[in-house]
Amino acid sequence: MTTTAWVIDKVKSRIGVDGPEVTAPVEAGHLRRFAEAIGDPNPRWTKEAPPTFLVALAAASLHLNDAEEFGHSWLNGGNRFEYFEPVLIGDQVTAKGRVVDVYDKAGSSGNLLFIVFETDYVNQRGERVARLRGTMIRR
Amino acid sequence: MMNVKVGQEIPELVKHPTTRQLVQYAGAQGDFYEIHYDQAYAKSVGLPGVILHGLLKAAFLGQLVTDWLGDRGTLKTFEVSYRGIDQPDHAYRCRGRVTKVEGDEVELEVWGEDEGGKRTTTGTATVRVGT
Repeated sequence: MTTTAWVIDKVKSRIGVDGPEVTAPVEAGHLRRFAEAIGDPNPRWTKEAPPTFLVALAAASLHLNDAEEFGHSWLNGGNRFEYFEPVLIGDQVTAKGRVVDVYDKAGSSGNLLFIVFETDYVNQRGERVARLRGTMIRR
Repeated sequence: MMNVKVGQEIPELVKHPTTRQLVQYAGAQGDFYEIHYDQAYAKSVGLPGVILHGLLKAAFLGQLVTDWLGDRGTLKTFEVSYRGIDQPDHAYRCRGRVTKVEGDEVELEVWGEDEGGKRTTTGTATVRVGT
């Protein structure tokens, strides 16, 4: 529960450091369960991934234990997807994530710690299919 | 897409999320953060109860855009900002409006409203038509 500059500095030291790569197959059953969960019956999603599916293949943010020493809970601040190639059933997608920025701000109900992540998703042919930028907030 | 004009609203999409759907989504995404299904936990961190995953709201807005776009083009960018929390058993209304048409690129403003009409999620999408 400490919110000291020391915790912030520890999290800031992760800026620019790559997280572990995660590779996962795009499976028909997973895609179907995801489309059902979001309630989108578009038949297109029986072959192709809907816009936000990539976050189900690999976590949208790296897990930072140090950040959990700040405040008591996480909030998602926002997500930005940039698409380059379609993601289809049978693809093998590798996610490569990193922390690109860390900053703190005073909020109305206490201090907030912002962590900005960026993840590149690359398919089995080495083509970058998408880039995701996300801001997670610790409060 | 010749009939796409700046200012035009796209057909809205109204979602009726339930706690069951949040559990289903937690499993499908693999995000098991307790604020999305454990009422006691959610309250212990100052929330009024379990809340929708930001990325579930993003998925709803993604559907809004892809339903409108159909096979007329490709989604190029999609960005959402979570401005407020949303709880299950309350309707979540997804809306969008064309903000720019430039060559084969169309930009949309998209947002999700709670039952009081408050925009709890705002965002933009850009699509390329005819590809």
